[in-house]
Amino acid sequence: MSLKQANIVFGGLALLAAILALLLWLPNDTGSAMIVHVRGRVKIGDALAPAVALAILVAAGLLIMVEALKQGGSALPSGDNIRFCAVLFLLFSGAIVLMRWTGPLAVWLAGPGEGIGYRELRDSVPWKYLGFMTGGTFLVAGLISLAEWRITWKAVMIGLAATILLILLYDLPFDDLLLPPNGDV
Amino acid sequence: MSDVLHYIWLGILAVFQGPALFHLLGFALPAAPVMLFFGLLTGIAVGATPGLAGPMAMAISLPILISVFGFTPDALLPVFGFLIGIMKGATVGGAVPAILFNTPGTPDALMTTLDGHPMARAGQPRRALRIAQISSVAGDTFSDLVLFVCAPFLAILVERVLDLPEKTALLVLSLSFVAAVMGKSLGRGLLSVSIGLLAAYVATGQDFYPRLTMGLPGLENGFPMVAAVLGVLIVGEIFCSIEDLLRAGTSRATADGGPEKRTSDGLQPGDLKRITPYIARSAIIGTVIGAMPGVGSTLAAMLGYTFGKRRHEARRGPADTPFGQGAPEGIAATEAANSAVSGANLIPVLSLGIPGNAAAVFLILAADSIGGFNPGPAVFRFTAPEVNPELVIAFGIFTLMSLGNILNWTIGGAFMRSLGVLARIPNRYLLPVVLLVTLTSIYVQETSFFALWVTFGFGILGYLFRRAAVPVLPFVIAFILAKPLEETAREAFAATGGDPLFLFRSPVSLLLFGATIGSIIFLHRTSDRHEPPSGPRETR
Repeated sequence: MSLKQANIVFGGLALLAAILALLLWLPNDTGSAMIVHVRGRVKIGDALAPAVALAILVAAGLLIMVEALKQGGSALPSGDNIRFCAVLFLLFSGAIVLMRWTGPLAVWLAGPGEGIGYRELRDSVPWKYLGFMTGGTFLVAGLISLAEWRITWKAVMIGLAATILLILLYDLPFDDLLLPPNGDV
Repeated sequence: MSDVLHYIWLGILAVFQGPALFHLLGFALPAAPVMLFFGLLTGIAVGATPGLAGPMAMAISLPILISVFGFTPDALLPVFGFLIGIMKGATVGGAVPAILFNTPGTPDALMTTLDGHPMARAGQPRRALRIAQISSVAGDTFSDLVLFVCAPFLAILVERVLDLPEKTALLVLSLSFVAAVMGKSLGRGLLSVSIGLLAAYVATGQDFYPRLTMGLPGLENGFPMVAAVLGVLIVGEIFCSIEDLLRAGTSRATADGGPEKRTSDGLQPGDLKRITPYIARSAIIGTVIGAMPGVGSTLAAMLGYTFGKRRHEARRGPADTPFGQGAPEGIAATEAANSAVSGANLIPVLSLGIPGNAAAVFLILAADSIGGFNPGPAVFRFTAPEVNPELVIAFGIFTLMSLGNILNWTIGGAFMRSLGVLARIPNRYLLPVVLLVTLTSIYVQETSFFALWVTFGFGILGYLFRRAAVPVLPFVIAFILAKPLEETAREAFAATGGDPLFLFRSPVSLLLFGATIGSIIFLHRTSDRHEPPSGPRETR
């Protein structure tokens, strides 16, 4: 598919999405119409502003198609870009899972027991840092490895140093700031 | 007139007699100027580091600043001081790697490489840096003076002339203007605006039912503004840069070698006289460009350089260095133009509440998070005898900007010349760390993994926007202006008794709509001609 055709498809998809949203999503997912009558007064309802936004999207889709026909169109994401997004999603998900569950898992394996879970220990060292350190190190090391296309100890050490620096910056001086995952557990 | 002077004095007092940060030798050091100082140093360092940008540093520092200073009106000036310091420092610091290593630290410093690096290679790096600093700070100072004069007058004019329908029309004009002038295509600009508006309208209506949430309980409070804005602006940019590194092969050298030879360095006799007309012309160009929302400093730098080159070629003597081969006039024309954008960019923010660039977005985010200051025409109400606290803050901001210029004139040059080493930090190490810092700063503000997922989602959106040549700043500006636009339209509609043509009843409103249509028809045609040939993306 040429760039021109791809841009026409891109504009067409934007147009189609906007029309579907105007006809299906908006009427079924707003509490009031575009204009409402309340106690004898006419008011703007909740549906008007999103309808205007979608109308702009309709115009945008049409313009992109016209521009593609006249000028040939601009760059669009390739298959490689989409695959890169998938890799980013896997890395980010892995980091979130590590952040969320490393602490509770460590408490379950090596905690004080006696019915004390991670929630009770989330303000004590070292438990409160475990998730952030593992997840943060994984994210930084993973992205460095992705950029370098190889896994190195240097990447892991940079990730570890970054998380320690952030603990020193955010957690030690401020009692009211919570590092991940301690605001969620 | 006495009211104005009184408020200026109150603004100065608010800066220098505000809460103390700490005591030194028995003297209480006021927080706002001290924070400005540290912000300026941070900004210069960030500007001098390729891959980083002022908005990234602002994003990272905002939650820390709010934690330190809290949510009281006393926090406003210290927080603004730090953010303004970053904004000013980054414009100066961007020239360092551009001149020393042919690597622009910020996108608008791309043109500085054309003459700055050849001059450094010819053995005069200190001279090039000194010319860049003088030109940059001169452009910035001129732009600030225009801001101080224009913003209050514009705000007063807006308050007197514009009623609710006209204000609605003005917001529509700003969105269409941004969509038209940014990026390569009007269609893509409008796409960005529409998605920004839609995202902002999720769960923000007046009904009990949270609109457009698709029944997802997590969306009942809408998308957190900080997560959406930072996701698109910062995280999307980081994803793009990491992919660029991956595609370019691994360890691309960031440096292009040092000077080939050493000659007499530092400012030469006659340099100041030689560059002054170029600084003056570029400062005016940058200020005019900066006053328009969404028009980036890269365009100002290109126009400043182009006009400077034209003048130089017409008047050049046989002994003068041509543009592109290390001409001091080339450095001056570029740096004065791109720095003159930063002050003027605050004209629409302070007078109309409309952010014009990423730095202004963070000032609005700070004001929104802390409370007690709502940028817009209502700020400039010269009330007496009761004091308008928002106006005192506005003049406090002007005082901080003036102080920032003085610091940039005095210590800025020496500090920027010492930072050449930062340009050698490889982006492949720096960017993942910046991503972690950004995510952490969002988590400590929102304390929820949901905010991190929202940030990631908007980061992917920002990445795809950049890959599809869709400009991201119209999205951010639309996201911020969506709520005021809807509220003003609702009030205007109700105030006119439900008149469906309320937007077309007054001549001013019609004029603004004419300008909206004019911006769409005429401005997008010219935007293509000023795209930079290559180089880093602007953090839009």
